[in-house]
Amino acid sequence: HPALSRRYVLCEVVSEDPRCRQCIEDRALGLAVRDAIARVHGDYGLACCSISFTVKYLNAYTGTVLLRCRKDSYRLLCSALPFVRHLESRAQRYPCCLNTLHVGGTIRTCQKFLIQYNRTQLLKLLQNCTNEEERQCIQKSLLSCSLTEEQAQSGEEEEDDGTE
Amino acid sequence: RGPAGRGMAAAAFERRVLRRAAEHHYLRVRLELPDGGARPNAAQFKQLVVTALRELHGEVGAALPVDVLTYEEKTLSAILRVISSGFVKLWSALTLLGFYQNRRCAFRVLQTSPFLLALSGNSRELVLD
Repeated sequence: HPALSRRYVLCEVVSEDPRCRQCIEDRALGLAVRDAIARVHGDYGLACCSISFTVKYLNAYTGTVLLRCRKDSYRLLCSALPFVRHLESRAQRYPCCLNTLHVGGTIRTCQKFLIQYNRTQLLKLLQNCTNEEERQCIQKSLLSCSLTEEQAQSGEEEEDDGTE
Repeated sequence: RGPAGRGMAAAAFERRVLRRAAEHHYLRVRLELPDGGARPNAAQFKQLVVTALRELHGEVGAALPVDVLTYEEKTLSAILRVISSGFVKLWSALTLLGFYQNRRCAFRVLQTSPFLLALSGNSRELVLD
């Protein structure tokens, strides 16, 4: 279906303020991204990227966001993501930045990448643990999650204890 | 490649066609301000062009290297130079600009060319007796 090609951009929200997590919701993120596109690429860029633009998936615990856009305008979207500097929600504004992790043609490829990425992130967290209690927690959650054939969902693990 | 055939030796010339090789594009434009108010000076004119680019194409558009080579305040006509990759962005931004300081205005693009020399004559304004 070449006429309806889309691109899925996987990114993560990085913030020093832990209260930024409560702003990770689809409306606030969608507005922030579209505002950045309007600033960087103007009316034309905003209109181009708004066709078929939506926030497909959000994970407030890990800060993972999946955005969808048209294949013709994904470069406009990706080049505007570094210009998202804060998220606003319920009259609260917190500084943050968006790291682009992966751009894929389907949700499935992004999901595969995310599973792999989360695995490596958990291992890195395990290495960087400062005290024994955190280490035990993470080891327990790592050992307890399993990947079953039917549910691809269980491949994505949640982070524990908010260790940044 | 020169013409061959008819038993002649290959001619000693070579023809090269370069498409889109020009670095800059030049536009002769005129600003129409129907209300008889104050005319913008050269700096204000450039500011207007950059504003038009910023509205339609954002900060990326406003950062395009655009130069006002000549400007006549009396007739509000100017010659602009833009890098070739930004030609479409500039022309579309000028087309869609509607206001200058809350006054209705319009840009008319009279001539464009990749060569500045070509703007010295305009066959449309030729008077044939």
